[in-house]
Amino acid sequence: MSEEDSRSSEDETSEDEDINDYYNNNEDDFIDNSDVERGQDGEEIMTSDYYSSNEYIRKRMQELEYYDYQCLTGTEVEEKLAKDTETTAELLNISPPLAQLVLLANKWKITAINTRLKLSPVERGKLLVESGVIAVLPSHFKHRTEHKKLSLKSAVSCGVCFDVFPVSDVTSLSCKHMFCRQCWTQHIDFTVKEGMNAGIPCMENDCSVLCPIDFVEQFLKGDSARLYRDHLFRISVTTHYRCRFCPGVDCPVVLFAETPKPRRVTCKRCKMSCCFECGNEYHVPTDCETIKKWLVKCADDSETANYISANTKDCPACHICIEKNGGCNHIQCSKCKHNFCWMCLGDWKAHGNSYYECSKYKENPTMTNSSQQTQAREALKKYLFYFHRWENHSQSLRLESNARLKIQSQIEEKMNRSEGTWIDWQYLLRAGELLAKCRNTLHYTYPLAYYAGGGSEKALFEYQQAQLEVEIEGLAWKLEHAGEYQRGEVENQMDVCEKRTQTLLARFVAN
Amino acid sequence: MSSIATTRIQRELKDIKESNNQSIKIELKSDEFNNLRGEIVGPSGTPYQDGMYKLSIKIPETYPFNPPIVSFDTRIWHPNISSVTGAICLDILKDQWAAALTLRTVLLSLQALLSAAEPDDPQDAVVAKQYKDNQKAFVKTARFWAQYYANAPGPRDTDCVEKLRKASEMGFYKDISLQALSTHSWDLENAIQYLTSC
Ligand SMILES: [Zn+2]
Ligand SMILES: [Zn+2]
Ligand SMILES: [Zn+2]
Ligand SMILES: [Zn+2]
Ligand SMILES: [Zn+2]
Ligand SMILES: [Zn+2]
Ligand SMILES: [Zn+2]
Repeated sequence: MSEEDSRSSEDETSEDEDINDYYNNNEDDFIDNSDVERGQDGEEIMTSDYYSSNEYIRKRMQELEYYDYQCLTGTEVEEKLAKDTETTAELLNISPPLAQLVLLANKWKITAINTRLKLSPVERGKLLVESGVIAVLPSHFKHRTEHKKLSLKSAVSCGVCFDVFPVSDVTSLSCKHMFCRQCWTQHIDFTVKEGMNAGIPCMENDCSVLCPIDFVEQFLKGDSARLYRDHLFRISVTTHYRCRFCPGVDCPVVLFAETPKPRRVTCKRCKMSCCFECGNEYHVPTDCETIKKWLVKCADDSETANYISANTKDCPACHICIEKNGGCNHIQCSKCKHNFCWMCLGDWKAHGNSYYECSKYKENPTMTNSSQQTQAREALKKYLFYFHRWENHSQSLRLESNARLKIQSQIEEKMNRSEGTWIDWQYLLRAGELLAKCRNTLHYTYPLAYYAGGGSEKALFEYQQAQLEVEIEGLAWKLEHAGEYQRGEVENQMDVCEKRTQTLLARFVAN
Repeated sequence: MSSIATTRIQRELKDIKESNNQSIKIELKSDEFNNLRGEIVGPSGTPYQDGMYKLSIKIPETYPFNPPIVSFDTRIWHPNISSVTGAICLDILKDQWAAALTLRTVLLSLQALLSAAEPDDPQDAVVAKQYKDNQKAFVKTARFWAQYYANAPGPRDTDCVEKLRKASEMGFYKDISLQALSTHSWDLENAIQYLTSC
């Protein structure tokens, strides 16, 4: 259980009351008291149903934040792999090295293998062919007669070096493609040294049989043998549906979960975290498929989008050049004191209420009849809109991650002036952590919005996203101007931010 | 060069000579076994028919455990071969290579590729697009290139000859003009516009 979970369960009742108080005191401000709000164009958005009830939100957040996984060492993983291999060997009645090939080809899903075996008697043969254990189904094994002839011959020609060898000097896999020992050695050695991203195949053209570990190891010595073991371990972990290498650079930890899910996992050794399912940075509310698609798109289109990542802009009122050095997107011009939004350069006043539309892309309704070129331009405009916001929040996250040190030194300053104790100012650090967590969620709402279909669900999503954005920028502002706000004001803002984040996640993370 | 690579190449050259297949040829460029010259004849029933295509074949140190590096020296208009560099997209020259394959099988596979293009796995995106969208223009271009670069026999398309002459009279190099006209499916105006803009 994470620290946060244990804290919330300890004082669950008191926190509950706080939140309820908050709701009662902020009737205008919070969504749960009115069933219908009006979005852009006056369309109605249902904001209150079972999915936005406190009970449902608590249940979903529990599911999202509590996830059972382990951080394993290489040896511990080896033990698990060996056990899986033994089980599968018995199940299929083959040697453990051959069972390993079957597991590698089937993501180590023993249950799925077992289910297939029970399906029909031909499945076993199919499974062995697909896994590279045998070449063709035994019933139509055409090489059998050839093989008999071969054993009568005294010499065979190797199909790779074309030299002729006595039968004792050539060998083959189950496919009976004969090659000399010297050629096998070179083939295996080169494949291992070149990095080996999958199994080592037979040398015959169009043969899909793979070399099992005991076959390979008779040809390898010393460094090559060790390198082969390393590659095999790496491939095993990468293919294993319950395993994931820690994303930390050079960290040997393997994250292990009995039930793989798209949840945040954090390495106990190096503290790096990622999504267990896909290995990317944790990305709720967007799902794994969508984030993969989005990241590929961003990489492909990076040049078109480059110009927007600059961190200077001109003030829209007095045109003085402003450099952004904090994470907050609510900017006050240092010269003319104009308050504006860094992302859309609009007046900040328009951002502070429930008609906030900065985060919402307005599709052009007349598009379907336009030329291909206009449609392409419109598609690019839409992408850039979301990419711009995506980039901007990732920049804010970077800037705010440096803010921790700044907050710490601010606290020390205050203490030096005898303004309260260390404990009194702790809430600022907590606010910083919460801000990072909430902004991360906001950051990942943009890919989801980009790919979202239309309809009332999208309207509700954009509505909640806009609400979240306002409150997060509110918290960022209060934190950057901590001297001007009371502790109570900051803590209220934290509660609202957290609640908005949870409301959105509970509703929109795929179940 | 490793001894196995050298002996393999020697045997392969001998086998090709003995096989008596007139449509493929391989010879040494010098005394070195790592640099060969190949030649294939364009298969009949294709725009490449009876064209002579020269290939450059480089043999890596680790041959035959790694594939030879093959490219077209003669320019060719084909979805799986770069019309500019002659680079080839063919699975057995990449991840589907097997040590038991030979240069002879590679050359035969290239002939097969000329007979049956795979436009969904293109090396040259421009050619592949024309192949899919405008077969007529593709066949016309591929045939003209075969005659122009690979000495394929037969009367040349008068439209192609005429437009190529017009473009070169405007002062553009012939190779560049031909590339531009081919890319624009023989629309002279578009090709000239393209030539003047770059
Ligand atoms: Zn051999
Ligand atoms: Zn084989
Ligand atoms: Zn780690
Ligand atoms: Zn994921
Ligand atoms: Zn802000
Ligand atoms: Zn200003
Ligand atoms: Zn804005």
